[in-house]
Amino acid sequence: MYVSPIREPLIRGQKTYKKITQDIAAPIEGKPGKAWYAGIALTGSALLFGLAMIGYTIWEGIGTWGLNKTIGWGWGITNFVWWIGIGHAGTFISAILLLFRQKWRTSINRSAEAMTLFAVICAGLFPLIHMGRPLLAFFVFPYPNTRGLWVNFNSPLLWDVFAISTYFTVSLLFWYVGLIPDIGTIRDRVKSKLKKWIYGLLSFGWTGSAKHWQRHESISLILAGLAAPLVLSVHSIVSMDFATSVIPGWHTTIFPPYFVSGAIFSGFAMVLTLLIITRKVLNLENYITVGHVESMNKIIIATGSIVGIAYLTELFMAWYSGVEYEQYAFMNRATGPYWWAYWIMMSCNVISPQLLWFKKLRRSLVFTFILSIFINIGMWFERFVIIVTSLHRDYLPSSWEMYKPTIVEVGIFIGTLGLFFTLFLLFIRVFPVIAIAEVKGVLKSSGEKNPKSDKN
Amino acid sequence: MANNYTFTRKTQYWIMSIVGIGILLLIVGYFINTPSRQELWTNILINNLFFLFIALFGGVFQALHKIAYSGWHTALQRIPEALTSFLPIAAALMFLLYFGMHDLYHWSHEGLHDPILEGKAAYLNIPFFFIRMAVYFLGWIGLTYLLRKNSLQQDTISDLRYYRRGKFLAAIFMVFFALSSSAMSWDWIMSIDGHWFSTLFGWFVFIGLFEIGIATIILMISFLKIKGYLEFINKEHIHDMGKYLFAFSIFWMYLWFSQYLLIWYSHIPEETAYFAPRLHDFTILFFTILVLNFVIPFFGLMTRNSKRNLKWLTVMAIVVLCGQWLNIYMLVIPGTIGKTAQIGVVEIGFVCLYLGGFLYVVFSSLAKAPLLSKNDPLLEESFHYET
Amino acid sequence: MRRYISAYFEDEGNLLRAAKDLKENNISIQDVLTPFPVHGLDSILGFKKSLIPTVGFISGAIGTMVAFGFQTWAFTVDYPLFIGGKPHFAIPSFIPITFELTVLFAAFGMVFAFLIRSKLGPGAKKTIHDERITDDHFVIIVDLDESGSQDGKVKDILSKEEAQDIKVKEIEL
Repeated sequence: MYVSPIREPLIRGQKTYKKITQDIAAPIEGKPGKAWYAGIALTGSALLFGLAMIGYTIWEGIGTWGLNKTIGWGWGITNFVWWIGIGHAGTFISAILLLFRQKWRTSINRSAEAMTLFAVICAGLFPLIHMGRPLLAFFVFPYPNTRGLWVNFNSPLLWDVFAISTYFTVSLLFWYVGLIPDIGTIRDRVKSKLKKWIYGLLSFGWTGSAKHWQRHESISLILAGLAAPLVLSVHSIVSMDFATSVIPGWHTTIFPPYFVSGAIFSGFAMVLTLLIITRKVLNLENYITVGHVESMNKIIIATGSIVGIAYLTELFMAWYSGVEYEQYAFMNRATGPYWWAYWIMMSCNVISPQLLWFKKLRRSLVFTFILSIFINIGMWFERFVIIVTSLHRDYLPSSWEMYKPTIVEVGIFIGTLGLFFTLFLLFIRVFPVIAIAEVKGVLKSSGEKNPKSDKN
Repeated sequence: MANNYTFTRKTQYWIMSIVGIGILLLIVGYFINTPSRQELWTNILINNLFFLFIALFGGVFQALHKIAYSGWHTALQRIPEALTSFLPIAAALMFLLYFGMHDLYHWSHEGLHDPILEGKAAYLNIPFFFIRMAVYFLGWIGLTYLLRKNSLQQDTISDLRYYRRGKFLAAIFMVFFALSSSAMSWDWIMSIDGHWFSTLFGWFVFIGLFEIGIATIILMISFLKIKGYLEFINKEHIHDMGKYLFAFSIFWMYLWFSQYLLIWYSHIPEETAYFAPRLHDFTILFFTILVLNFVIPFFGLMTRNSKRNLKWLTVMAIVVLCGQWLNIYMLVIPGTIGKTAQIGVVEIGFVCLYLGGFLYVVFSSLAKAPLLSKNDPLLEESFHYET
Repeated sequence: MRRYISAYFEDEGNLLRAAKDLKENNISIQDVLTPFPVHGLDSILGFKKSLIPTVGFISGAIGTMVAFGFQTWAFTVDYPLFIGGKPHFAIPSFIPITFELTVLFAAFGMVFAFLIRSKLGPGAKKTIHDERITDDHFVIIVDLDESGSQDGKVKDILSKEEAQDIKVKEIEL
């Protein structure tokens, strides 16, 4: 396969296959440093705080949250949508970019997909807690029961149950199938008997046989083909929780594709936030290069601009529709009591990513890192704006209300952040952060060329 | 094989006969059942849109691949470039609508006493409508002209400058297109049903445009291959085009369904008023469109081999083109003519007339430059890649 | 008694050429073990196309029918209930779940097919030929006949492509 010399190499530093294995396996084999312990202590305590708040909510009831008569969905659902959105980058990278033959995905797909799984776990917690009686959560599945009832297949909330559980399962399968050969590599490297046994069990007996590879490639491709529409469907269905209603600001047909775009946008922001640190700490700068960051920034600018166009379309249509409720809802978003949230959203999501049109900024790690945090914040506010501003002033002015979260809701959110980062910190100690076999596969075509020793 | 496409007498003759058939059908149609002014203008609008979309896609195809650093498309660069040569004529045809505004757009009438349309008057008024039209076309024609010029200059001098400039122009085109394509679909299509609105509409029309363009490029490749050109286009290129046709037919269905589901589910009279006549007065057409644009390409192009078989892909492309033409028909007709509309001699005549003209322009332009561009730094990748 | 020969390569280019040479000499290759999928190897070894996509299609189709059929049955036959003014047989409403289950079934079907056909799974008993295979070495295992008539030729081909550790092994059956 020919690669034009004007393309930037994806793997720097004239690596060999052996060197790749060593570099990527190093974090698993070495002892964790002080930074890792400090990190996990911090995220662990956030997690514990969150667990305490979850316990308190379940014990006392949802009354401990700041919800009220009109605003029945506050932080809980905001966080749910935010996390689900973050969970979209991983599968987008490994599925859609695979279909589009983007080789740069090989260095980031593994960790991004792990983030997907962790983000979906965090997201799933919120509806569960919000039910009030999480022990009865299995009621949402259509199983034959003594009440003789089925769940409501007409409800978007039920579609959500199916969408998110399918998404989690398929992402897990996809991720694990990709991981099997790499676990085999780790199995063959670890020295301790116990570790060898555990990795042996997890590697499913991988041998590297050519026939297995053929099937492995085939299944990866078809799973990618399935996962691509799945990614689109998940956030579309999440958006339908809102868009099937008749609430102004919620009921708008652009929601499905616009939510998907926003999800990929926020997902990439989170991937950048984490990988910019990870590549430094784990010495993977040769694999996750500035070129990779630039490519991700381009996706950010594309999806960010699509989101921007969607915002403008919504505003225009609200005016164009001639529906006074619709017009008020958008007026209220931009200039009402929550104007600050709206303008945080606008400036973080639409205006700030436009700076990435400058190549210098796209390739600046510091700038990208700061921007990615801004986008994370902006996308959180987007969901907050959609949910709260549309609910707090609905058709009945007598029940107009303001919404303020309590410490319990904030605590649960912090807890999920803790959960997410804890899981990620554990992940980088246990599994290879980069898909070893896939990177080896692109070494010849996209590695930095070694002028003297190219035998073939 | 020759590097340049020669627009042979024979091909010209065939194209002229398509035009001839078109004119003949129109004359026959005139005598059988004289079409009303409204029918004439509706036909003009539908075909204006359809062929404009093909031409516009030429720009989209180049720009998208350029900004995505794609290498594989460089070998078939010249086909989308030739498609854009129809844009000036599409513009002229679009401006003709000035004489048919009243027959197409209810909002263009004076003294309507319609509070909803009065509320939109700041946007929907005739001068502003044509100012916007001029802006869209200026942008599209200007940018695609520059892209084409840049590509031709690259042929003569090997210099990375043109590669960079191409990417720069492509980025500007995409930004301009992203904004203008939504607005164009509101102006020219959505405003026919003056009261109705849907935020998704622009993107839905855009995906239709994408399908139309991909199907056309497949047909062009197929035609040129039969004529013995394009020996450098291999199975992998065909496979990629097949993947596009397949994937975007799914994406089209996804957007269609999103829009339909949300309107069906919420059941708000202002919105369902749009689908009710389409579903009840045009039931067969309504479902035919879904079959042609989704069911057939979905099952027809599911396997790997079907996407790599140019003959089969050509059949699928024709199916999709018919489906998309009907889709535009369905977007326009219920708001203009209404349930009495039929597809007859006149409709087919107009399609032939447009098709002939379109082919003549595009093939003349195609013959002007070598079919394979030169000096693109990514060109070599286009010959050696596997999917 | 079964005899085979194994050899190690450091570069996939050598491996590909050696495999091609062996195939052209009608020598049966038992297996090739590589650290990553080597392009072009399938066709040299003459592998048939994997049937995994077909399995995916069939299991997906089952998913479609199960999901759509079940929702239809539950809402039109078993417990028809008016919900939000929707008809009992509300096709648009059933599509999201139908889609999700199609994908879910197809994914499970393919993963199981992959694991079962390759005899992989937790606790699968596989001999690990050499620990370098998952790192940077490409191994080719070639079947030899009992008489040893092919030994010389095979060794020639292998050593021509800079193979290392060429070893003949025998296992009693």
